[in-house]
Amino acid sequence: MKKHFLSLVLSATLFAPAWGQIQSAAKDTFDFYEMSLEQLLRMKAHGIPSELEELINSLILAASKRPLTARESPGIVTLITDEEIRNSGARDLIDALRLVPGIDFGVDVEGAVGIGTRGLWAHEGKVLLLIDGQEMNEGLFGINSFGNHFPVDQIKKIEVIRGPGSAIYGGFAEYGVINIITKSASDLLGVSLTALAGQMEGGMGRRNFNLSAGKKSQDFQFTMGAFLGQANRSDQDYTDFFGNTYNMAGNSNLDPTHLNVGMTYKNFSARWILDMYQTTVRDEYDTITPIPYPINYRSNFTELKYSGQVGKAKKLTITPKFNFKNQAPWETIWDGDSVAEDYSKSVQRYTGNVTASYNLTRKINFVAGAELYTDKAQDNSNDSSYFSNGEKEVQYSNHAFFLQTLAKTRIVNFIAGARYDVHSDYGSAFVPRVGFTKKFKKFHFKALYSNAFRAPTIENINLEDSAGIKPELTQVIELEAGYQLTRKSLITANLFDIDTEDPIVYFVGDSLQLDNYKNFGMGGSQGVEVEYRMRDKWGYVIANYSFYTVLNKENSEDYMVEDKKSLLLAFPAHKANLNVSIKAGKYFTISPSLLYIGKRYGYTEIDSVGNYLQGEFKPLMLANLFVSINNFGVKGLTIGLGCYDMLNAHYSFIQPYYGDHAALPGPSRELMLKLTYEVKKEKKKQE
Amino acid sequence: MNRFWKYVLLFGFFLISFLGRSEKAQAQDMDYKAYTLFLYNFMKYVEWPNTEGDFIIGVIGESPVKKELYELAKNKKAKGRQIVVLNIATANDALLCSMIYIPTSKSSELKVLSEKVKGKSVLIVAEREGLAKKGAGISFVIDEDDALKFDINKSVLDAHSLKVAAMLIRLAVIVG
Repeated sequence: MKKHFLSLVLSATLFAPAWGQIQSAAKDTFDFYEMSLEQLLRMKAHGIPSELEELINSLILAASKRPLTARESPGIVTLITDEEIRNSGARDLIDALRLVPGIDFGVDVEGAVGIGTRGLWAHEGKVLLLIDGQEMNEGLFGINSFGNHFPVDQIKKIEVIRGPGSAIYGGFAEYGVINIITKSASDLLGVSLTALAGQMEGGMGRRNFNLSAGKKSQDFQFTMGAFLGQANRSDQDYTDFFGNTYNMAGNSNLDPTHLNVGMTYKNFSARWILDMYQTTVRDEYDTITPIPYPINYRSNFTELKYSGQVGKAKKLTITPKFNFKNQAPWETIWDGDSVAEDYSKSVQRYTGNVTASYNLTRKINFVAGAELYTDKAQDNSNDSSYFSNGEKEVQYSNHAFFLQTLAKTRIVNFIAGARYDVHSDYGSAFVPRVGFTKKFKKFHFKALYSNAFRAPTIENINLEDSAGIKPELTQVIELEAGYQLTRKSLITANLFDIDTEDPIVYFVGDSLQLDNYKNFGMGGSQGVEVEYRMRDKWGYVIANYSFYTVLNKENSEDYMVEDKKSLLLAFPAHKANLNVSIKAGKYFTISPSLLYIGKRYGYTEIDSVGNYLQGEFKPLMLANLFVSINNFGVKGLTIGLGCYDMLNAHYSFIQPYYGDHAALPGPSRELMLKLTYEVKKEKKKQE
Repeated sequence: MNRFWKYVLLFGFFLISFLGRSEKAQAQDMDYKAYTLFLYNFMKYVEWPNTEGDFIIGVIGESPVKKELYELAKNKKAKGRQIVVLNIATANDALLCSMIYIPTSKSSELKVLSEKVKGKSVLIVAEREGLAKKGAGISFVIDEDDALKFDINKSVLDAHSLKVAAMLIRLAVIVG
């Protein structure tokens, strides 16, 4: 008895990291008033946080240069955890990001599916996608192509900033930032293997394989993630506006190869990401091609970073970093039997950045920095295409300065910042922002005013019309209020108002230059987003609703629904999510989810004189179910079974602009089997 | 009124409805047991010149910390001295104390109390952040991750003839 008592005291005194453990142990064994001073410093002012409180009190890295908690962060934020991704059975980023209010997807051309937010088509350089700080948007058009592309099994969390981020990140973050943080060495501490097989009604859905590994010693951490896959975008029939049709099974491949290697040693970190994504398409731009052809999106990213504190007081932190990205997106190369136009260009960006962060006091922080990047692009095709300078190579440079002040007072947190970019071709963009946030016990609010810009990309400059091209500028007002109903539940609601001046729009020109970009007209939307979260030991419920309207906004006719002045093409005014996960016993987790997508509009047919006509896409419900069983026969083995789109709603990606492309079918009902095996070194309890 | 503003009103109504429920709702309130634990450690690691009689800790105004201090007083002693919790009703009560706890709601009393106990061996501990710079010996700080920490004003403690153990100083931020 005495031995047990002593071991309890010892383990509690030496190892117990949290107040909760000590408190519970105190009830029956030892004197919790006698905890060590070191343990004392791990005490939380508000006691043991509930599961929900842990989530909402976690620091958001993407919304400000100095992290703040989700409720005080100067951005409208959705946090998606690895647990939510795992439990939902999300097959790819499309599934994960659809959980976010206001986000949906549309089709561009050549099978590329892109993102839209708050009703606005954001595919070309308007939403920044970061993976471990690396800018994924390709440098020629600024897009990210979604669909079995980026590895969801490597993700620790996704911070989605549903509003602008240009004051921090520059010209790709006009409407939003998706900040993906992969699992660290501490999260992995071993090896994790995942295999996913999906079968659609009319063909193979996907076969994906992921390997993640992490190792940690005192000063050194290493992580590695490798993702390989094959998938079909759909198994349904695609029909162009001229009545030509083909079945997409085997004609819409989405095959990723993604490697992510990271290491840190003391204050130094390095990362390298290789992202090779091959799609196969027949839908092309308007009419379908007789045979499928491949499109490659090849990228690699390198980062070297050092972060060091200066002086005895450690108030000043200086972080120099260097980034290199090399990309060849949209690569379409003929082998003599061509079915679509040849395209082979590569682009490199070399970025140097120095950021200084100074804590004047605990509550007042200043950040200042400078960034310089150079873009180089080459036209690698053998045909007669050239950049607008008449050469096969083009080069631009950009320098930027940014500032941020954060002051946390008893009444309000105040944040103000700005970024000033000067580009060698299109000139300057200045984007200030100001925000007020505060949490008062159960209540919090945010009032944010942000300017943002969309930087013209290399192809925008290359294909600019005679008037030239300049950055499009956006102003966004966002108001959020949240209320913690109980320790386990929180409701937030926000309003947004977006105005974009001189958006960069694509138009078809004359025979000399078919593709053109110009600044034209206005853009924007208004709306409301509401989210309810409840978390407990048994699981969680996430419900959200989003609405937008453009009734009070002027938008280019290319994006408008003809007889619904409140709507834009492709994106529903109403979208709702219900995402539930229930731990049924020690080993089972059952996770049903529902996604309601309201009525949408898009181009659906062509009349006898060649005019494209708009039509209605009925509201639909995507119902999904995923069940997982942990330690299935073997310790560390998790088996997951799921069904996406149980009701077989036949979702289609609609083109959000006047672009001659018919709606691209998505996957039909897909049955999934997922196996995960983890070999993990036990964490030391002191950690 | 256009549709957007109708939604704005709806949002407002929504918010007010929930705010109306505030009394019934629970949330993550301060854990005063944690504060008490810190106070107990201050009793252990600060040295008072006078070690005779009861150790009187005074609390000004109403605060949930009192309940926890009564619990502490029932179970523990301060270096062998009986702990007694005193409700400070007048400034003169402060002179009876070895330690005074000022809850956030009574932060404005700091100046008066500091004057009253000037030169006496009394440790003033303030709940509100920043008060160690304004005359308290110690004031609490809540970090970004909700960790409870504290600042020490060594000059104030010296002026009150209080010695602080190096172990405690190591964990604090010295602000004076």
